[in-house]
Amino acid sequence: MSGNWRHPIPTPDCYLMSRVLYDIHHQSSHLQRYVADPDDYMKDIPLKPELKAAIRDNNIGVMYLEGVNPLLLRAHCLGLRIPEGDFVASLRAIEPMLASEAQNG
Amino acid sequence: MAEIVGVFATSHTPVMLNFPDAIGQQDREAIFAAFQAIGHQLIEADPQAVVVISDDHIHNFFLDNLPAFCIGTTDSYLAPVEHWLKVEKHVLKGDKALGAFLLTEALENGFDPAFSMDLTLDHGVLTPLHLAGVADRVSVVPILINCVQPPLPTMRRAYQWGRFLGDALRRYEGLERVAILATGGISHDISTPRMGMVNEAFDREFLRLLQQSDIERLLNYATDHVDEAGNGAEEIRTWLMAHGAAGQAVFQTHYYQAMPAWYTGIALGSWASRGGL
Repeated sequence: MSGNWRHPIPTPDCYLMSRVLYDIHHQSSHLQRYVADPDDYMKDIPLKPELKAAIRDNNIGVMYLEGVNPLLLRAHCLGLRIPEGDFVASLRAIEPMLASEAQNG
Repeated sequence: MAEIVGVFATSHTPVMLNFPDAIGQQDREAIFAAFQAIGHQLIEADPQAVVVISDDHIHNFFLDNLPAFCIGTTDSYLAPVEHWLKVEKHVLKGDKALGAFLLTEALENGFDPAFSMDLTLDHGVLTPLHLAGVADRVSVVPILINCVQPPLPTMRRAYQWGRFLGDALRRYEGLERVAILATGGISHDISTPRMGMVNEAFDREFLRLLQQSDIERLLNYATDHVDEAGNGAEEIRTWLMAHGAAGQAVFQTHYYQAMPAWYTGIALGSWASRGGL
């Protein structure tokens, strides 16, 4: 989907990734567990390892490409105090991929 | 019958509170002064309740249950919900009777809102009220539009909602004076590769069309061009609802400036009419 959104409706993977971000920024006990050990926090969530790794590694660009809700990405940045420059740079880094997508339809 | 004594619209962004110094002092002071001016107008209008049209930024609602429109129907609202927002906690007074009236009227008039008696409101509602200096001085009825997760309600539907809202408020017998504050937009991107790029041309044309009030052109423009203005610009639905509620009143822009360092176009405006709203 072009324009403002990646998908016209969230995919199941997008739902699960968004769920992780939603839970850790709305329940303090979840945030504590996540910060202590992200892999352990996500161990029972039925996501592919590379998608869990994207969350764990704060790979904002990959999460965006998967269609994670952008408001949750923003909350994740502010909530984990990811430096603004790193956050924006991770998003800018995927511009070539988006350009390629657009070129290939 | 209630009189609509003021209709206002403002941008909002958490950056205003979390990183205010990201922009220069002159711009910052001008923006905060514009919010204060709206606060003064609101207080002078002396509304007994303010309908705040905003969106929930995936806090009260998630992808497991996300209403297109939701009306708050209780007597107090904690804010902000964000643990990371740099502002003191507030308990906003709510007007549950007006919320219940709008809910019932909506259902009887072909609209199908959700309702909630337990909303913890976010920066979208709190930031403008806080910067205007009225957060603890007004009773609110929040109306939250899904502007944050497709599929979204159409721009036209937001405007239709506004028409309904204005008519319903004018026939409400529980209060004499009510106001409306729409918050959101205008051009900005949140967590996309375009973040920090503001489409000033979109903003200025949208504001011009609001003032011109050619409804078809306005709605077509909003629908056809919002993808060029960013995912945050989807919040212009709140402005369109306010525009519908304002009826024949004329929109005026109080302030506009593209603020890429705050990631958004900042606009504030109101609707006014010689003969009242």
